[in-house]
Amino acid sequence: MKAIFAQLTQQLARIAIVISTAGLVLMTLIIGWQVFARYVLNASPAWSESAALLLMLYYIMLAAAVGVYENFHLGLKVVLDAVPTHIRTRLEVINNSLVIIFGIAMLVNGSRLALFTVEHIMPALNISRSFAYWPFAAAGLFISIFALERLILAITSENSINPPKNTEAVKR
Amino acid sequence: MDLLILFGALIILLTIGVPVAFSLGLASLATMVYLDIPLVVAFQRMAAGMNVFALMAIPFFIYAGELMNQSGIAERLVKFAHSLLARVRGGLGLVNVSSSMMFGAISGSAVASASAMGSTLIPMMKKQGYDADYAVNVTATAATTGLLIPPSHNMIIYAISAGGGLSIGSLFLAGIVPGILLGLGLMLVTYLVAVKRGYPSGTFPGWSQVLRHFIGALPGLFTVFIILGGILSGVFTATESSAIAVIYTVIVAVFVYRSLNWKGFVTASINAVKTTAMILLIIGAAGSFGWLLAVMEVPVQLSTALLTISENPLIMLLIVNLILLMLGTFMDMSPLIVITTPIFLPVMVGIGMDPVQFGIMLILNLGLGLVTPPVGTVLFVTCAVGGIRIEDTLRSIWPFYLVFIAVLALVTYLPSTTLFLPSLFN
Repeated sequence: MKAIFAQLTQQLARIAIVISTAGLVLMTLIIGWQVFARYVLNASPAWSESAALLLMLYYIMLAAAVGVYENFHLGLKVVLDAVPTHIRTRLEVINNSLVIIFGIAMLVNGSRLALFTVEHIMPALNISRSFAYWPFAAAGLFISIFALERLILAITSENSINPPKNTEAVKR
Repeated sequence: MDLLILFGALIILLTIGVPVAFSLGLASLATMVYLDIPLVVAFQRMAAGMNVFALMAIPFFIYAGELMNQSGIAERLVKFAHSLLARVRGGLGLVNVSSSMMFGAISGSAVASASAMGSTLIPMMKKQGYDADYAVNVTATAATTGLLIPPSHNMIIYAISAGGGLSIGSLFLAGIVPGILLGLGLMLVTYLVAVKRGYPSGTFPGWSQVLRHFIGALPGLFTVFIILGGILSGVFTATESSAIAVIYTVIVAVFVYRSLNWKGFVTASINAVKTTAMILLIIGAAGSFGWLLAVMEVPVQLSTALLTISENPLIMLLIVNLILLMLGTFMDMSPLIVITTPIFLPVMVGIGMDPVQFGIMLILNLGLGLVTPPVGTVLFVTCAVGGIRIEDTLRSIWPFYLVFIAVLALVTYLPSTTLFLPSLFN
């Protein structure tokens, strides 16, 4: 059961990062097209900026959820590194439980915001404003799932230290 | 009581290692529960904080920097600086600072600059008889010059944290003089220490070589002109110019330098996505945190508290600088910018400081925090590259810190250091 869950989260994280990366490339192309259209075609597209921004919300929230899986979010590690392993494990349990709570709150309230705004229309794109809130609901769900995996890891493994799976991405 | 919950929860969460973005979010949620504010507001503010056009420039700047890292531009800058400066005593140190200034200008990330310059120059310096601690000190401190020399994505983070009313062009211009002063100051210390320790000098390869390497570095350096020129002339917005910089970098790296393959492109893209997600989630979470700060009138209370200590603006500036320096030694730059800007900016504007000047002071101040323990990401990265322990650098790094303090004093107490260049363009 645990193995199936681990495989599921791994696939989920991998798919999410592929989609996010494609999102970044597409966003670059949209803004590039906007400049090209304005100066070469003499016609600024009305949709480009709003579309790129909406795209960014989706891929950022997706990648931010993967950040929980890969443990690449910025945080203070000084205390975690200084305390004995058994205390560290307990802190990991508390940390991940809190992240799950935040994820669930984001899922619930993101969905509520999306449902409130179904009728509102974003003028530049002519679609419902709820599209700008669904990424938050989805990210809340994924964050909870990924944090749950880390929580189970922390509880089950006696000397769980959960080293970051990817350290090189920690750049500003 | 509400203040105690907001800041108490934040400090406890950060201390036990909850990531910054979630700490900000959870502290805001806890305070909202106490104040009986519906939790949906927290996420509405978070979405609003991320639904900002100018925010798009941040992923593009980071993306362009990652692409440059993958395409070997760092080595070309080093070759150019080397041909020009290696003949001086301790020349490799000067090469290090000047190439960091150029690379930092292009990439805007101190960590990227430290790892790119460090991996090229530290082994070279050690081989020629420079001590490892000197090589690390020079590389780490020089890497921070790119935070001030435009374009710098941290300035965009600041502009957005300040409420979005600030001109990014003005902030970029304001960083130039302090950035160059910091670079020159670091070069001076680099040279003096080199003379004292008797480091070697190299040979001059001749002006034709200098020209050849300059031409090699030119396409990379041209990115700065695209971004700055585009923004200042009004041809592009900050977002557009950074997106064009990404496309330009890919074209140069693939067709001119022929140094970027598919694998490098994918690596750069994935790294950019992850770094951006990390920073933008913090900015989003700070949206609800900042909203609470405003609702609870924290800046007003802070001003009142500071005024009871002293009514002298010079002393208040000193106190704020000391607080920032202290915070900077514990936390990373981008989260601190988004957390401290809404708290301190209204206070500073209240005593007559220009928001642009405060931005540069903040970034320089927190930049020093990146090269000081216990949490100094740039120093850590450089020590790892140089193969020495952080303790080994601390005995000899202090003269470099003095340069930061001197430039920080100028930026804080002499407004024209930052505001003169922007005033020429307004």
